[in-house]
Amino acid sequence: MNRILTTIRKSKEMNILLVLIVISIIISIFNGSFLTMGNLLDVVKSNIVLAIMSMGMLLVLLTGGIDVSIASVISAVTVVVGQFMVHVSSNIVLVFIVGVLAGSLMGLINGLLIAKLKIPPIVATLGTMSIIFGVVLYLTNGTWITGIPQNFIDFGRVTIGKFNVAGSDQPTGIPIQFLFLVLAAALTWFILKYTVIGRGIYAIGGNKESAERIGINSDNLTLFVYVYEGFLIGLAGVVHTSIMRQVDPNAFIGFELQVIAAVVLGGASVLGGYGSVFGTLVGVSLFCVINNGLILMHIPVYWQKIVVGVVLITSISVDVIQKRMQEKKNVRVDIDENIQRFARTSVSKEVKTQA
Amino acid sequence: MKKLVLRVVLLSLVLLMVGSFVFAQGQKATTSDEVTIVIMPKLVGIPYFNASETGAKQAGIDLGVNVIYTGPSTADAAQQVRMIEDLIAKGVDAIAVAPNDPAALTPVLRKAKQAGILVLDWDTPADQSVVDLSVHQIDDQEYGQHIWDLLVQEMGDTGDYAVVTGGLSAANLNGWIDAGLSYAKTKYPKLNLVTDRVPTDEKQQIAYQKTLDLLKAYPSLKGVVGVSTPAPLGAAQAVQEKGVADKVAVVGTALPTDSKPYLEDGSLRVATLWDPGKLGYLTVYLAKEMLAGNKPVNGQDVPNVGKITVWADGKTVIMGPPTDFTKENAGTFSF
Amino acid sequence: MEQNTQQTVENEKKGLRKLFGKFHLETKELVLLWIFLGIFILMSIISPGRFLSVYNLQSMAYQFPEFGILALSMMVIIVTGGINLSITYSATLASILGAVVMVSMNKAGAPELASVLVGVFIIIVASLVTGAVNGLIVAHIGIVPMLATLGTMTLFEGISLNITKGGAISGFPNMFQWFGNSSIIGIPVPLFIFVLVIIATYFILQRSTFGAKVYMIGCNPTATRFSGINVKKTLFLLYVYSGLLTGLAGLVMASRYNSAKESYGYTYLLQSVSAAVLGGTDISGGFGKVFGTVISVLILQVISSGLNIFGVNRFITDVIMGMILILVLTINFINNKREEKALVTKKIVTA
Repeated sequence: MNRILTTIRKSKEMNILLVLIVISIIISIFNGSFLTMGNLLDVVKSNIVLAIMSMGMLLVLLTGGIDVSIASVISAVTVVVGQFMVHVSSNIVLVFIVGVLAGSLMGLINGLLIAKLKIPPIVATLGTMSIIFGVVLYLTNGTWITGIPQNFIDFGRVTIGKFNVAGSDQPTGIPIQFLFLVLAAALTWFILKYTVIGRGIYAIGGNKESAERIGINSDNLTLFVYVYEGFLIGLAGVVHTSIMRQVDPNAFIGFELQVIAAVVLGGASVLGGYGSVFGTLVGVSLFCVINNGLILMHIPVYWQKIVVGVVLITSISVDVIQKRMQEKKNVRVDIDENIQRFARTSVSKEVKTQA
Repeated sequence: MKKLVLRVVLLSLVLLMVGSFVFAQGQKATTSDEVTIVIMPKLVGIPYFNASETGAKQAGIDLGVNVIYTGPSTADAAQQVRMIEDLIAKGVDAIAVAPNDPAALTPVLRKAKQAGILVLDWDTPADQSVVDLSVHQIDDQEYGQHIWDLLVQEMGDTGDYAVVTGGLSAANLNGWIDAGLSYAKTKYPKLNLVTDRVPTDEKQQIAYQKTLDLLKAYPSLKGVVGVSTPAPLGAAQAVQEKGVADKVAVVGTALPTDSKPYLEDGSLRVATLWDPGKLGYLTVYLAKEMLAGNKPVNGQDVPNVGKITVWADGKTVIMGPPTDFTKENAGTFSF
Repeated sequence: MEQNTQQTVENEKKGLRKLFGKFHLETKELVLLWIFLGIFILMSIISPGRFLSVYNLQSMAYQFPEFGILALSMMVIIVTGGINLSITYSATLASILGAVVMVSMNKAGAPELASVLVGVFIIIVASLVTGAVNGLIVAHIGIVPMLATLGTMTLFEGISLNITKGGAISGFPNMFQWFGNSSIIGIPVPLFIFVLVIIATYFILQRSTFGAKVYMIGCNPTATRFSGINVKKTLFLLYVYSGLLTGLAGLVMASRYNSAKESYGYTYLLQSVSAAVLGGTDISGGFGKVFGTVISVLILQVISSGLNIFGVNRFITDVIMGMILILVLTINFINNKREEKALVTKKIVTA
């Protein structure tokens, strides 16, 4: 237990986790219903799509890339899935397969442009963003797809467990969509932690040339990352449709910045090489909690954006300043330990775990 | 030399790509000598403006005029100004625009007038000093009052309610809300607005999220007004999911086809809007008449639209009262 | 027709190479210049009466300066390996603050010239402040530019909304229209402002020691710090400059639209990134030329206006823009590869 606590305390995500806790406490002081199961489940349910997509984005950022086309990709996925359900079949398994395939295919296109043609990720995805959005809106003209088959709607309403919640007459349960988030997070965590691919991803994000020199095929890894991201976006697209029960091709315009912000907020470096599943989840949570708190705390509408901006900037500043102080402390410790050579090995280990 | 060849090949590829699109689409527009009327929505690619496109195009066929229905792909006033400038350069006979922001379009519309183009506004009023004709679907004042009447009809005239809107800077939505709020102040003094209008980015997902938050922040909420077409749907979805559809009345402005499932399960009590297709049709019809020198008159019967109202200023045209959509009639509309 | 186009382009290319050789043009910029000329000539051939009309050329010259200035304010930051997501809202916040003062002075009956001068002064000062805020957060606190400017973007938008309550601020003195809607000997005033910005940015970035430091930071900030350069100060000043440019863009927009509102021009944000990278600016920093960005702004303008005049569906226009972005970068990739190969063969030969 102690060891777990120290790892958490020492981890890079600690600061941002603290910020999350502080903000949560402040909100619950203003409004007691914030920390109720009912509210938390609502927050989770309305942000599952963001969370799943941020897992994919995490991998992309880890390689030192970025993907601004995600909003257009999920929009295309929802349209494909919606049309498939309305015109072909609403078999749940088939729907998921179609969604995931559509997402992966678009991820593959991004991956090929980036890995094979060596187009910088932001440029390639800016390009595919305008192409995919353009094609989707040209073909659909923004028309909503309604009339999603009933069995799919019912599937979206399934909940796990039932418990009574204060403030609502209806018993609530964990929404089925949550399972997909757990799946996405677990899969991403596993890949990063226990596979050669994961280690390769960290390696090319840290230093591409030396990674290639030790025999890591960075092209193939990059390709994998974008396809995997597409796969998760496909999953998120189906999940989104199951929550919203209709498809609006315009629903995701501007969504890409939110996803990127949430992941970076969770400690992932935009330069690549650093970031974790845990941190990303904390970042996403912080983002959602701030948004949720605005209305719960009765903040006037015309002040909300100002509050969000200030909270964003201060929480990151706290994180950055804290880290800098820690670094200074570490240096001092290092010097001290030149005298006390005995303890030195343990500290250098510490520094390593932080790097 | 090889390098040169490669470049030339690539260059011609770009040119071919652009050229083919231009030829494919440009040809048909340049062949005829007929009157050209531009109908510009706030943005293209959303259901509301698709419906008005259908009407405008139909009017073009019926009346034998060339209708160009084009607008920016985002609701940005800057993009709209640029497009109008291009259209002035192209040379058209009339421009009818639904401004993203009335003030921003004044200089460019003045330019259009100087170029001898007939300038109209539709859907949302522009600066009245620069337009030759102003086509409104509805009287904004009356519409705002009507929405609040519907709210009271569904929730009673006492209690807490909230307003979710498309965006804080949408001029027409603000107009309706302001009209409704000041009307409620005098007519329904026991109604209590819990917080300022909540923006939802014109997205159902956000309206859903914000309504969930509102329900928790203000447990005594009895009514929600959704202004902008996706907003009432998101609000209804939240109310339905929380199982409070019988306690919280959701009303708002929405298209009947999109809102049908919510009307049917009772989470959306009533929606109100006009037929955007008719509005598009009317705009083209009036633009053509104006070009022929015929000003609209009060009570004039416009084919496929109905009787219109013309204000005393002679240039403000009102299409007619809104239609209310309920569980019973939502299935009978095609927009 | 196709051949004609190519020949003209080739001839022009030779001349241009000589002409622009002095300005350190490289392959990337030349490719762009070609594409620009190609598209321009193509559009002119298809529609000499409309596209190539004096009116349209003039109207385009009114359109691109505001976007061009914003693109440069983005580009100078990208050169350092950062990004500035707050440019559009910084522009509108500055113009709103200026507008509020100008309108109230106008209402109080102050002389037109005085209220315009005060208004412009406030726009400039406000934009310097927004730039300084960004600079402070990025350079001194050390937050990643993307996250920092995302925060300030929300903040600026929030402040603007708080001031305007969602409406537009209008009722400027007539004289204010000069900045956006007048011309001097047929050349639009906004274009003059843009040209001044281009020249200033060119000298600051490519001709001064300050600029050299900026490129060094873009290449390797740590090494730059250890070589004795004050990275913080350089970065801070650069963000202030970027802020100043957004202020000028805000000035032009407010005057052109005769009003100020928080959402004006928000679509320019991602377009500015596109213009900068299309112009050969390296998104990871260290490389980028003012001229390249300017040419890409012109390319985007010509395509947008041209396709609009021909009545092409707006979404197809988006698709074409995306394709051009990818295509140009592919051309650059192929060129780089060829040059590398050539270099290797040369080495082998000399060996």
